[in-house]
Amino acid sequence: MKNIKFILLFVTTILFISCEEVVHLDLDTEDPKLVIDASINWVKGTAGNEQVIKLTTSAGYYESTVPTVSDATVFIVNNDNGAVFNFVETVPGTGAYICNTFEPIIGNNYELTVIYDGETYTATEKMYPVPNIENITQDDESGFDGESMEIEVFFQDDPTTENYYLSRFDTDIYPYPEYTALDDEFNNGNLVSVLYIDEDLKAGDVVDIRLAGISRRYYNYMELVVTIVEGGAGSGPFQTTPAAIRGNFINQTNANNYPYGYFNISEVDYTQYTIQ
Amino acid sequence: MTLLKERYLSVLFMLIFSVASAQEEFTLSGTISDAGSNETLIGASVYIVEVQKAISTNEYGFYSISLPKGTYTIEISYVSFGTIQETVELNQNIRKNYQLSTNTQELNEVVITENQKRANIRTPQMSVNKLTVQEIKKMPVVLGEVDVLKSLLQLPGVTNAGEGASGFNVRGGGADQNLILLDEATIFNSSHLFGFFSVFNSDAIKDIKLYKGGIPARFGGRTSSVLEIYQKEGNSKEFHMNGGIGLISSRVMAEGPISKDRGSFLIAGRASYAHLFLKLANQDNSAYFYDLNTKLSYKLNDNNNLYLSGYFGRDLFEIDDLFSNTYGNTVVNLRWNHLFSDKLFSNFSTIYSDYYYGLELGILDFKWDSGIKNYNFKYDLKHYISNNFKLKYGVNAIYYDFNPGKITPTGSQSSINEEQLEKKYAFEPAIYLEAEHRLSDKITMSYGVRYSMFYRLGAQTMNLYENNQAVNYDPDLKIYEKADPIGTKRYSSGQTIADFNNLEPRATFAYELNNNQSIKASYNRMVQYLNLVSNTSSPTPLDIWTPSGLYIDPQILDQVALGYFRNFSNDKYSLEAETFYKKTKNRIDYIDGADLIANEAIEQVILNGEARAYGLELLLRKNEGKLTGFIAYTLSRSEQRTPGRTPEEVGINNGDWYRTGFDKLHDLSVTASYELNKKWSLGTTFSLQSGRATTYPKGQYTYGDVNIPIYGNRNGDRLPAYHHLDVSATYTPKPEKKKGWQGEWVFSIYNLYNRQNAASMTFRQNEDTGLNESVKTSIFGIVPSVTYNFKF
Repeated sequence: MKNIKFILLFVTTILFISCEEVVHLDLDTEDPKLVIDASINWVKGTAGNEQVIKLTTSAGYYESTVPTVSDATVFIVNNDNGAVFNFVETVPGTGAYICNTFEPIIGNNYELTVIYDGETYTATEKMYPVPNIENITQDDESGFDGESMEIEVFFQDDPTTENYYLSRFDTDIYPYPEYTALDDEFNNGNLVSVLYIDEDLKAGDVVDIRLAGISRRYYNYMELVVTIVEGGAGSGPFQTTPAAIRGNFINQTNANNYPYGYFNISEVDYTQYTIQ
Repeated sequence: MTLLKERYLSVLFMLIFSVASAQEEFTLSGTISDAGSNETLIGASVYIVEVQKAISTNEYGFYSISLPKGTYTIEISYVSFGTIQETVELNQNIRKNYQLSTNTQELNEVVITENQKRANIRTPQMSVNKLTVQEIKKMPVVLGEVDVLKSLLQLPGVTNAGEGASGFNVRGGGADQNLILLDEATIFNSSHLFGFFSVFNSDAIKDIKLYKGGIPARFGGRTSSVLEIYQKEGNSKEFHMNGGIGLISSRVMAEGPISKDRGSFLIAGRASYAHLFLKLANQDNSAYFYDLNTKLSYKLNDNNNLYLSGYFGRDLFEIDDLFSNTYGNTVVNLRWNHLFSDKLFSNFSTIYSDYYYGLELGILDFKWDSGIKNYNFKYDLKHYISNNFKLKYGVNAIYYDFNPGKITPTGSQSSINEEQLEKKYAFEPAIYLEAEHRLSDKITMSYGVRYSMFYRLGAQTMNLYENNQAVNYDPDLKIYEKADPIGTKRYSSGQTIADFNNLEPRATFAYELNNNQSIKASYNRMVQYLNLVSNTSSPTPLDIWTPSGLYIDPQILDQVALGYFRNFSNDKYSLEAETFYKKTKNRIDYIDGADLIANEAIEQVILNGEARAYGLELLLRKNEGKLTGFIAYTLSRSEQRTPGRTPEEVGINNGDWYRTGFDKLHDLSVTASYELNKKWSLGTTFSLQSGRATTYPKGQYTYGDVNIPIYGNRNGDRLPAYHHLDVSATYTPKPEKKKGWQGEWVFSIYNLYNRQNAASMTFRQNEDTGLNESVKTSIFGIVPSVTYNFKF
C-alpha cells in the first residue's frame, strides 16, 4: 500500500511549478564499514549450486566506486542438516566470493558467517518459495503522461499463508535495477500483479524480470531500501525523513560495528520480456 | 506551608473583595457595529475618560461595563473607523448600541498592525497575533491570491515547512497541533492545492486571531495554538457585492439584508480555473479547488441573535483516468446569542464539521475513502461581574467519528479485496472557568482552568499484545519491529475502550510599569487527544487523524512565556518582545520504515516520545505615517526525542534530541507599506530564514546493484538559507468614489530576484551514468501576477 502514498506524493510534486537542479554539497563521510551483499537466489529450473556473495566497504557519497574486500572467510551452514558451503574469492581483488556446490532447500534455515579483520559477522535466514509468473501484459499508454510503457506481471498468491515478495526489473536503459517489495495484506489469495512503468521503454527493449519469495524482515528491509533509493519518498515539504538501514547481520566480536547489507535466500522465478 | 496558605487566602480575599465592591453601580452595555453594514465589530474599544478604563467588544460585538452612578464621557473607537465621543448620564442600567463609520473609505487600508495598533499594554493577554482582513490584503502574495495563513507567517513565532507546504507551525509545534476554528467550528485541513492557498476566503472573513501562548481556558483540544476566524455576518442595510479576478482564481461575495436592520445574508464563492488552460492545451489532467462560505444572521430582539454559518470546500485532481483525488472540509454551525442581563452574555453553538478524503486509482483498480466527522455542542457564558472582575465559563462536548479508510475495488480486473478499515469513535467533553481580574491599578491577571475528558468508544475490535507492547525490539539487530497481536478484544457499540481526563490550568499576568510599558508572563497546559498520523515535514491531505486510546496517550503541553511590551514616540512605534519555553509529553514518532497508509494497527509502528521548543520573538512596528510596517525576528529551536523504553533499547536517533522537520533557527521578516498618493500604494515583504532541518547522507554502499545512501543523524543538516523579496502596488483609479462601482488593480511580484529556494534535497543515482548525485527541488521562481478587485 505504500505505493499509494508514493504515487500521491509524485502527483503533488509534478503539480508544483517545480524545478530540479543538480547541486554539489559539502558532505561529511563516516568511517568505512563492511558491506555484505548476500542474496542467494535459486532460479526455478536451475540447480542453484552456483552462488556469489559480494564484500565491499562503504565510501563517500560522491565516490564513483566502492572498495572491494579480500582475505575474508565466508561460509553458509544449513542449520537443518548441518551442510557447510564455503565461498572463496576465486579472482583476487574482486570482492566476489563464489561457491559452486550450494544446495538450496526450500523451508530450511541457513546461517551465513563472514570473518574479516578479526571480527565475525553472522546472519540467519529461511528460504522461501515463490509462485510462477503466470502472465505479462503490456500497456503503451500508461503513466501520468499517458505515454509511458507499462508492464504488468501476474502471479497467484497463496491464500493459506502471509506472503512477501520482491520483484526486480532490469533493462538496458538504466544502469541500476528497479525493486518493488510487496505483501498480500489487501489481496490475499488473489491473482496479484506488480507494475513496471517507464516513459523511455520502446518496442524491442528487453526487460529481465525476477520475482522472489522473501521473509517479512527482508520485506521491511527492502521497503526501506526502495524508499531511500527513490530519494526518501516524495520531495518538497512532503518528504519523509530517511533513516540509516539496519540489515540482519550481527557483529559477534564488536556489536556496535555492525555491517551494512543483508543475507537473504529465496526461490526466484525469472523471465525475459521483449516489449512489443 | 502556612505562608503559602496565607497567600492563598489573601488572593481569595482580594477576589471576594473585588466582587463585593461592585455595589452601587450601574451597567452600560450594548453592541458596536459598522454604520455602513450593521456588521458587528470584534475588539472595538469602549473607553471611559473619567476613570481611564477601557474594555473591548467580544466576538459578537457586545460590551458591558459597570460604573458608579455619575456622568461619563464615552469614547468608542476601532481601527480605521472614526471615533465617537459621547456623554452618558449613568443613573440606571443603560443599553446603548453604537455605530462607527469608516474614516478611510478606500477598498483597503494601508496599515498592517494589530487591531489596536499599539502594543497592548494593559490587558492580561500575550502571545496573540491579530490581523484584520484589510491589513492582510495589503501584503504581496504569490499568484495574487490574498491569503490569511500566508500573512500570519510574517509574524514572529509562525513558520511553515517551506513554499507549497500545507499548514503552519507555531512556536515549534506541529501543524497538527493548531486548533483552527472557523466560526467556532474545527477545520481539519487548512490548505487548498497542497498548500498553495488557504481554505479561508478573505472576502468572507471579519476577524483573525492567533493565540500562540497564554491560551484562555475556553479553548482546548490542541497543544500548540488556536487560530480563531470569524466570518462576516453580511450587510443588513443594503445589498452589496465585491469580488476579485486573478490569474489562478476568482472570487465573488454578495451580502445584503433579508429583513432590514434585523437579518442579513452573506454568500461568498471562490474557484480556481488554471486547469481550464490545461484542457485547452488538450491535457486531460486537472487540478482545481472551489469553496463556498455562507452565513445568515437574524436579530430576534435586543437580547437574542441567531447565526447560521456554513462552509464547503473541495480540491479536485484528475490525471487522465488513472487517478482522481477529492478532499475538503464541510462545516455547518448554528449559534444562538442570548443576553440574560446586561452583565451576562451567553452563546449556544451546535456545530457539525467533517473532512473527507477520496482517491480513485484507475491504474491499480481501486477507490479509497476516508475522513473524520465531528458533532460539537458548546455553551459559553461571559459574566461581567464588575469592572475588575469578569468570568467566562462554559461546557463543550464533541463526538468524533473517524473513518480510517475504505478500499473498494473498481472494475472486475482489480486484484484488491473490498475492505473497510475499522471505524473509530470518541467523545470529548470539557468544562472551563476563566476569570479576568484587575488586582490593582498596575496588576491584571487572567486565570482559569479547563477540565477535559476523553472517551475512546466502541464498537471496535482492539488488538492485544504481549506485555501490552505493540512494538517489539530486536536487541541483536537493534531495530524495532511490529509485534504480532496475541489476541483481540471486542468492544461493543458505546463501550469505553480507554478514557482520560486532565486538568488544564492557564494563567496570564500583566504588570504595568507605566502608561507605555508593561511586562507579562503566562503559563498554560494544553491537552490534545487527537493525533495526526504523518511522517512528512508538512501534513499531506491523505494523513489520517487517530484518537488516543489503549496504545496512544494524549499529548500534554506545558508552556511558559515572558514578555515585555512598549509603546514609544507617542505611540508611533511599538515593541513586543517575548520568550517562551514549551514541552510536550507523548509526542509520537514512527519506527523506521513505518507504513502509515491504510495501516489498521498503527500502534505497531509508533513509539512514544517528547517534544520541546524554546525561543525569542521580537516585533517592532511603525504604526503611523505614510510608511507603516513591522520587523519580526524569531530565534527558536524545535526538537523531538524518542528514547528507548528500557535502558537496553536504542530509541529513535539513538534516543538523542533531534530537530523537527520544521525547525528554523532564525526567521526574519520585514513588511512595509507606503502610501504614495491617493491612487497608488506600495507594499513589500522580505523573508530570510534558516533552511529547514533535513538529513544528508554521510556515505554510500552498494547492495543488490543499487547505491544506497547512508543517512546521518536525523535532521542533523539544514537546507540552504531561504529568502525572497516580494513587492506589490495597488492602483485605485477613482479613490474619491464611495458609491456604485469601485475598482482597484493589484500588481504583485513574488520572489523579485528569482531566488531558487530549496524545498528539498534528493539523493539519487543519475539515470544515465549511475553515479550518485544530489538534486535540489525548488518550487517558485519569480511569479508576477495581477488581480482586479471590485465592489458595488
